[in-house]
Amino acid sequence: MLSTILWGHDAPGKPGGLEPFGLVTMDGILPYIECLAVVVALYLLVGRGGRGTKVLGVLGGFASLAWIYVMAGESIAGGDGVAREVLFLIFSAIAISAAVRMITHDRPVYSAINFVFVILSSAGLFLLLEAEFMAFALVIVYAGAVLVTYMFVLMLAQQASSPDKVTEVPEYDRLAREPAAAVTVGFIFLATIFGSIYQGIPDLPPPAGTHDRNVTRAEVLEGLPRQFRSAVESVSPTFQWPPAENADGRLIRVDEEGLYVVGKVETGASRAVRIPDDAGPRNTQFVGWDLVARFPASLELAGIILLLAMFGAVILARRQIELGEDELRESVGMPRIHDWDDDDTSLDEEGAAT
Amino acid sequence: MILIASEFGQLALAHYLLLSGVLFTIGLVGFLSRRNLIVMFLCTELMFQAAAIAMVAAGRYYFDFSGQVFVIFILTVAAAEAALALALVVLLYRRKPTLNAEDWRDLRE
Repeated sequence: MLSTILWGHDAPGKPGGLEPFGLVTMDGILPYIECLAVVVALYLLVGRGGRGTKVLGVLGGFASLAWIYVMAGESIAGGDGVAREVLFLIFSAIAISAAVRMITHDRPVYSAINFVFVILSSAGLFLLLEAEFMAFALVIVYAGAVLVTYMFVLMLAQQASSPDKVTEVPEYDRLAREPAAAVTVGFIFLATIFGSIYQGIPDLPPPAGTHDRNVTRAEVLEGLPRQFRSAVESVSPTFQWPPAENADGRLIRVDEEGLYVVGKVETGASRAVRIPDDAGPRNTQFVGWDLVARFPASLELAGIILLLAMFGAVILARRQIELGEDELRESVGMPRIHDWDDDDTSLDEEGAAT
Repeated sequence: MILIASEFGQLALAHYLLLSGVLFTIGLVGFLSRRNLIVMFLCTELMFQAAAIAMVAAGRYYFDFSGQVFVIFILTVAAAEAALALALVVLLYRRKPTLNAEDWRDLRE
């Protein structure tokens, strides 16, 4: 009875109907209890309690994260992906603890530095996901550019009025605003996400299989003629370019084992040449292809957004100068009203110069 | 080494989605509970980051690179947001030298 309420079915750990999703599905209230544990730990950390409360929050937070991980149904031991799993654990632990430290630290500068840790560890996660380009772009753009802007404004805004006040942290940085309400909203949000993940999303299509991957690879590789040709010629140097088209007008054919082309070799006989797996486009090439071939208008829009943001920032942050009547008159080339004597001489000099 | 064609590994998409959900919640709680304007904007960056992790993981799962392409757009929007938001903070700070969000309550009127 209890296990049905908690797990949604009788035997804990029994795989549900959504195995490709890689998760034990469950309909019970356990995921929500888990969310509650996470936000209670967050409350202890952001709240107004003393040191003991924070230590408790840290321990509770780590315990509930470990619980999530165990409940997510994968064990660390065994399998091919051990290094990957350990790295995932390390990176996600760093990311989450740095994020918590970021929202709990008294001093905004340290918050920003903790955010750099979040960025670096999620760059690590991107590397695990084989998104090298995004990982490095993230480090360059975020840790390099955005964070420097934040630091700059923080330093600008936090100038101590006198050297004695350096150590003083303002009250609004020490005390949280409505921590209970904040974690309530957080709980609702987290419970929605966890609930939908643990129950499985019924409409979620299965992951891409080998065939889908090969079709995508073939599409992109055909768009990269030089790489395509050198890949074929590295296998079969005497291949007579170009290869024969198939029924759809495609040069690259796909079967169970991978990609191949059909064409004549030096002897005149037509034969299939298999393209090696590592000749295919790399992640960065895929991303570039998608960016330019599938989303060209979005790319232009991104450029326009950046341009307008630059204009906006310059206009907003510009210091407003109050122009007097004289300056306004001067800017349109009219003589000043006051100080006629000085201006007369300057006008004479200008006239002499021209 | 085949970077693309290898399997998703022992890790499932769900791990990344859970991580992303937790990070987003931390950012949300931080945004609601901090009172420093700049830290509040940092928390929005954290939420962007969580969304980016979810997108890259889902893109990897389906071998569809539009996930990563949209992370590029997230980076764009985040950079634009940082520039504009910080310009606004500088503007506000010039009027009243405080970063306390509650000192700007009168803005809502």
